[in-house]
Formats: sequence, C-alpha cells, structure tokens
Amino acid sequence: MNGSAWQDRLFRWGNAIFLVILAAGMLFPFLYIFSVSFTTFDEFLKSDFLLWPKKWVPDAYLFIFHSRSFLRSLWMTVYLTVAGTAVNLIFTSTMAFGLSRNIYGGRAITFMVLFTMLFSAGMIPTYLMVKMTGLLDSIWALILPAAIAPFNLIVIRQFFQNIPGELYEASVMDGANDLTIFRKIILPLSKPALAAFSLFYAVGHWNTYFAGILYLNDPKMWPIQVILRQIVVLSDPKNALGAVEQVLLDVQPPPETIQMAAILVATLPILIVYPFLQKHFAKGVLIGSIKG
Amino acid sequence: MKKKSRVFAACMVVFAVALAGCSSSNQPESSASSGAAGSPSNGAGDKKIAVSAMDFFYGDVPPADGRGVKMIDEKFNIDYQINFIPQANYDDKLATVLASGKIPDIVSFQGGDLTNRYHKFAKQGAFAALDDYIKDYPTFQRIPASVLDQFRVDGKLYAIPQYYPRFGFTTVVRKDWLDNLGLQPPASYEELKQVALAFTKNDPDRNGKNDTYGMAMGASINPAFAQGPYWDPTAWYHKDDQGRFIPGLISNARKDVIQMYADLFKEGAITRDMATLNWADTNKEFYSGKAGIFIGTPRGMSQAYMEGLLAIDPGAEFVALDMFQAPDGSKGMLAGRGFLGITTISAEAGKDPAKVKRILDMIDYGRQFFPDDQKNDKNPDFDWLNGNVGQGYDMADGRAVLKSTAGTEGLYPQEYFVDSTAWPEKDTDVNYPADYSNPKLSQLTSEIMKNYSAMKYYTSPNNRVVSETELAKGADLTKYLYDEQTKMIAGQRPVSDWDKMVEEWKAMGGEQLIQEINANIRIKDAKEGWSN
Repeated sequence: MNGSAWQDRLFRWGNAIFLVILAAGMLFPFLYIFSVSFTTFDEFLKSDFLLWPKKWVPDAYLFIFHSRSFLRSLWMTVYLTVAGTAVNLIFTSTMAFGLSRNIYGGRAITFMVLFTMLFSAGMIPTYLMVKMTGLLDSIWALILPAAIAPFNLIVIRQFFQNIPGELYEASVMDGANDLTIFRKIILPLSKPALAAFSLFYAVGHWNTYFAGILYLNDPKMWPIQVILRQIVVLSDPKNALGAVEQVLLDVQPPPETIQMAAILVATLPILIVYPFLQKHFAKGVLIGSIKG
Repeated sequence: MKKKSRVFAACMVVFAVALAGCSSSNQPESSASSGAAGSPSNGAGDKKIAVSAMDFFYGDVPPADGRGVKMIDEKFNIDYQINFIPQANYDDKLATVLASGKIPDIVSFQGGDLTNRYHKFAKQGAFAALDDYIKDYPTFQRIPASVLDQFRVDGKLYAIPQYYPRFGFTTVVRKDWLDNLGLQPPASYEELKQVALAFTKNDPDRNGKNDTYGMAMGASINPAFAQGPYWDPTAWYHKDDQGRFIPGLISNARKDVIQMYADLFKEGAITRDMATLNWADTNKEFYSGKAGIFIGTPRGMSQAYMEGLLAIDPGAEFVALDMFQAPDGSKGMLAGRGFLGITTISAEAGKDPAKVKRILDMIDYGRQFFPDDQKNDKNPDFDWLNGNVGQGYDMADGRAVLKSTAGTEGLYPQEYFVDSTAWPEKDTDVNYPADYSNPKLSQLTSEIMKNYSAMKYYTSPNNRVVSETELAKGADLTKYLYDEQTKMIAGQRPVSDWDKMVEEWKAMGGEQLIQEINANIRIKDAKEGWSN
C-alpha cells in the first residue's frame, strides 16, 4: 500500500518534470524570437545564443511599424480573417443543417462533397475558375473558392445529427419553420462546435499565403504572410546550390532582429485568440465523435 | 452504379465545356486589345496602348497604382499594368499564368530559366523575335555579343537580358589580424592555408583568448573561395583523359582544395558546423569577429553586418585578395553569366510592330546609364526616372537620395520598369563604392573594384548549352557532389575516395551530362574561353 503511493508520487513527479521540459522545449523558440527582436544587432552578432538581451531596444518594431506595407497587409489579413470566417461559418452551418435533415437528394450532395474532399482540382483549374468568375484581384478570391471545407462540413453535419430529433418535433409542433429552428434551436446548441471550427477557419485565413500571390495582382491587398515571407526569405540563400550570386543582390537581408520582430507581430494576434476559444475547443472537436 | 457513372461523365463534359469556354473567351479579349493598339498607319504615337507585364521582385513590392505608374502611362502614352511577384514564388505564378492561356505582353524570366522555360517557349513560338529592333536602341547595343548570343534560339533573338555584372566574389581577409601576426596577404592556396591556421592558433586579435579561427564556411561548402576558374567548382575548365570538359566539382584541382579544407577542418580552422549553417549564419561567423576569412564583392555588401562588426571591433581592417596564379599559368576570374533576368515580349504583342516599338522604347529608357556627375536634378532623364526632385527623391550634399517611402509607395517610375538596372558600357563604370555610406565598406569595395578593373574573365563553355540531363537531374547531381565533399571535409569519408565518388556521380547520370554538354561546347581548349 505504502509502496504503491510512493510509486504513484514518483510517477507524478516524473511526469511533471517531463511535461515541464516538453513545454520549455515548445516555448524556447518563442522566447528566442522575442529576445532577438529586442536586442541590438551587434549584440546579436556577438552572442552565440541569446535568451535575454542585455540592452532592450525597440528599434526593430519601430522599423516594422514605420513600413506602411507591413501595417497595410496586417490590416488586410485581419479583414480577410474576420470576413472569411464569417462566410465560412454561415455557409458551412447552413449547408450542414440542410444535410443533417433527411432531404431528397441529400445523399447525392453528400457524395459530391466527399468527392471534392478526395479529388480536389489542382492549382491551374482553380485559377481558371477564379478568373472566369471575375474574382481575380478581389479579396473574395481568397474567400469564396474555399467557403466550405468539406471535412468541417461533414463533422458539423454529424454534430447536428446528434441533436435529439425530439427537439425538432417539438419546435415544429410549436409552429417553427426551418429557419427558426436553425436560428433558435440549432445554433445556440452548437456554440462549442462553431467556436472550434471558427478557430480552424480563422487560422487558415490568417495563414493565407500563396493564394494571395496567385489571385491578387495588387500588392496593396497582399496578406501579411506574403510580406513576412519576403522579410524572412531574403536572408536565406534559397538552399539551392550555386545560388550564391542570387543572394547578394541589391536588396540586403534585413537583420535578424527585424525578422524576428516581424514574425512576432504576424503571429501574435492569432495566438491571442486561442485562450478565448479554448474552453469551447476540446468539447467542440470531440463532440461529433461520440455516438450513444 | 451505371447511373452514377453517367452523372460523373456528365460532370466531366460540363467541366470540359467550361474549360473550352474559358480559353476561347480569351481570344476576343486579347485580339481586341491588340486591335485597339493596331492600325499604326494613323500615327502610332497618338494612340494609347495597353501594355501588361509580369516580373519578379526582391523586397517590398510597390502598389500597382503608384505615382510611378501614372508617370510611365503619361510619358509613353500607354496603359501600363505591371504585376510584380515576390521572387520566391515567381516560378509557381508564372506556370499558372502561362497555363491560363493569356500571356502578358512583357514577361520576365529568371536567369536559371535560360536553358529551361525560356528555351522551351521560344521554340514553341511564344515570343516575338527582336532581331530587327535591337539595333535601334543604344542600351541594347551595349550588350556584349557573348552575353547576347546565349539568348539565340534557332538563330533568332527573343529576349533582352537584364544587367548583372560579370564579376563575382573574391576572398576577403582581416588585415588587422594579418598585421598583428606579421603576415602578408596570401597569394596562393598554400599561403591561405597557413594564414587560416595562424588565425586559429596564434590569437590574431590579441585578446588573450582562443576565440578566433580561419575561414567562415556554411552549408554546400559555401562560399567557394575560388580564386580563379582553375579552382572554381562551377566552371567547366579542366578536361578528363578523354579530352572532354568536366565540371570543376570533379576536377583534380577541386580535390586539392577539398584536401586543404579537410586539413583545416581537423585543426578547427573552418567553421565547426559548416555542414548545416545557412548563409545568414555564415555571415554572422565573419561579422561577429570570430572568423578572419570570408568573401566580398563590390555590389550588394551588407552595411548592417559591417556596422555590427565595427561596433564589436572598431579596429577591424580588411584586405581583398587578388586572384591566384594557377599552375597552368592562368590568372583571372570566372565570368558570371552577365545577366540576371530575361525580358521577353509575347508573340501576340509582336504582331503589332508599333506596340513592340513602344515597349522597347520604354525598356531602353529605363536602362540608361548615368555617370555619377549626371545623377542629379539637373539631368531631366534622371530626374524623371526617380520621380522628380522633392517628390521622389531629395538632393543632399550633391547626391540624390530617394525618399524613405519612395519604394513602398511607388513614388518613382524607375521602380516599375521590368528592367530597371542601367546597362553600363563597362562593368567597372558603375561606382559601387559610392552606394555605401560606411567608409570602411566603401574603401574595401573600391579596392576590389580597382583589382577587378584589370581582370581577365573566363566564360564557362557550358553556359548556353541545353542539356536534358541537366534539366532533369542537374540539381540532384550537384547536390550529391556537395554532400560527399562535405563529408570529406568533415572527415567522414577519406579524400582518397575521390575517384570512387566521381565514378558514383557518373553512374548517377553525370556521364550522360558530360556527354550532352560536350556535344555542344564550341571551344576546343580552355584558353579560348578567356576574354577581358
């Protein structure tokens, strides 16, 4: 009895130490980025590895916020994320609601959704479609083609299907139509699921990168990740062999301190959203999976 | 089951129709634009022509409707639509746009596409031939024949190369360290080796600590520290016993260099983790005052790094090495390809000579070279290209300085030219040292320029040879050699394995590569590859 309690404690301590080390491993890069972004460049050059600057300077941040294109693209990304997530949620939840009811042809539609999940069109056909629909050079080119993620749709549909059928029947008895049921019954009950999926969608929009370059010709509309990549990639020799001459061009690699500051500014906003949605999060993702 | 497959087939048909609809709907659009631009008989200069362009861009991309664009529209009477794509993603976007069927009037290709996409598309007739036009333009006349000839496909010229100097890098050594140890700047690899060893062992910075070493080196054995084509890993200079040119990477001269690196590595005179170090970190080794041997070049040195080093060690001095005399008596530098990007005009736009002329007028204008004494507000061309004094740039101490927002806000026209680098008469006409405000950097680069101005250049004979093996496997083949040679330096594979490595490389496709390249090499002996 005594022995097992001792072992239990040992295990718990060992576990705690292991998890702390693991967490430190995850936090380490962030701390590094944070510290480097606040050091002077020559201190960065001098030190082998830097975790806490001797002298704190905000120069890198001043540089970034002085650049209008950085702020502009940050704003574009916020706009894209908010508008895009709203569109995603509206389309995904309404379609999932429709498919969760036994409607005529529902199976065929579900099949088509599954089909696009497994066989998605490549880059060029999608580009042609965006071009034909006249979305090129509009922010909607980043939102509408991906308005519904099939996988999310299926999971939300599953979630809606698990809502007891009696609720529908009772609502219909009380004279509610489909729209009222959706708004007043289904949506309030699905908050955890919607919170979780809005986070999925939002992170996706926040990280929009290549689609921005592909569909938008005006650099004014480019999302933050494009600018970030410009800042970071310039100092990297493209790993390609013999590319040395490509590296030392007129454009100088921005010093690492500016890179790190840019990374931080571009990542922080979406990181901040997490804690607020976290309480819904685990619940929302798991809920579609348990069937009673 | 049957029903499903029929539905599927119907979907496919719909899809195919949609695709066809798309490509055909492009036709009237493009012919309309060229139609509008056509009918040159009634005064081409009066008609506004729509010109679309696509180009890669380093750095912060200016907005598509900046002041510079409006100035270009006005001056050349065109409706200029320029689409800049960040360089790192250019290839993907280019592939998509080309596949979408509507090629912009002006398309830039990156240098590496010369033997790849440029060649392929030129063969298919996607570009307008420019032979008849180029003689009318002064800046096109300046392109040396050896550079221009690379762009001929089946005897016709389809491109205007964008300027990049032919010169490359030279080795730079810490002069103050040499002086502290009483050493002379090395003039051969043997002397360079001794200097690297002395930097490692004899405390060259006199701080009493063992905290310095010789050569800063990163992944892919970069920089190459090639003091002449004889040792340059990328030059096809040496011949094998069958009399065929071979790449520098498998030559015996390279073997000696690798042997030297291996010896130095054992003594700690080369960056410890060179196998994995990226370029930025390799720079850091030198500019933090740890390593004493690195590279330099007149164009594009980093002022931020240099100032960082001078903050750490204000007494730092530098010396740039002359090229070394090779055992075969040659002395000089491997010439770069002499261009950075490739400007083409689409065949569609080429149907209208007036439009081609208007485009070439514009490209030529953007490539004008001004000596230092004409870079001021008195020169109307310079003033216009830089967005007018007071609006795009300011004059300070007789020098034109762009406004800090000029780039990101697109205030000056020059930024919007597909080809915005001036083409000088000679590489050494450009005053690179004046670009640096840091006096030590300015001094170092002018020293290098002085050395380069009397340089002899070797043009690698494989430069314009199109090889299928190169396109398919070239990168893998080269990577294999760099990987094996990195192992040799680090002592994981003996240098005596050299011949075995070469055989392995040949079996992977290197033999095929040598054959394909040699079949089209036009010189018989490396001596013919030299020029001034």
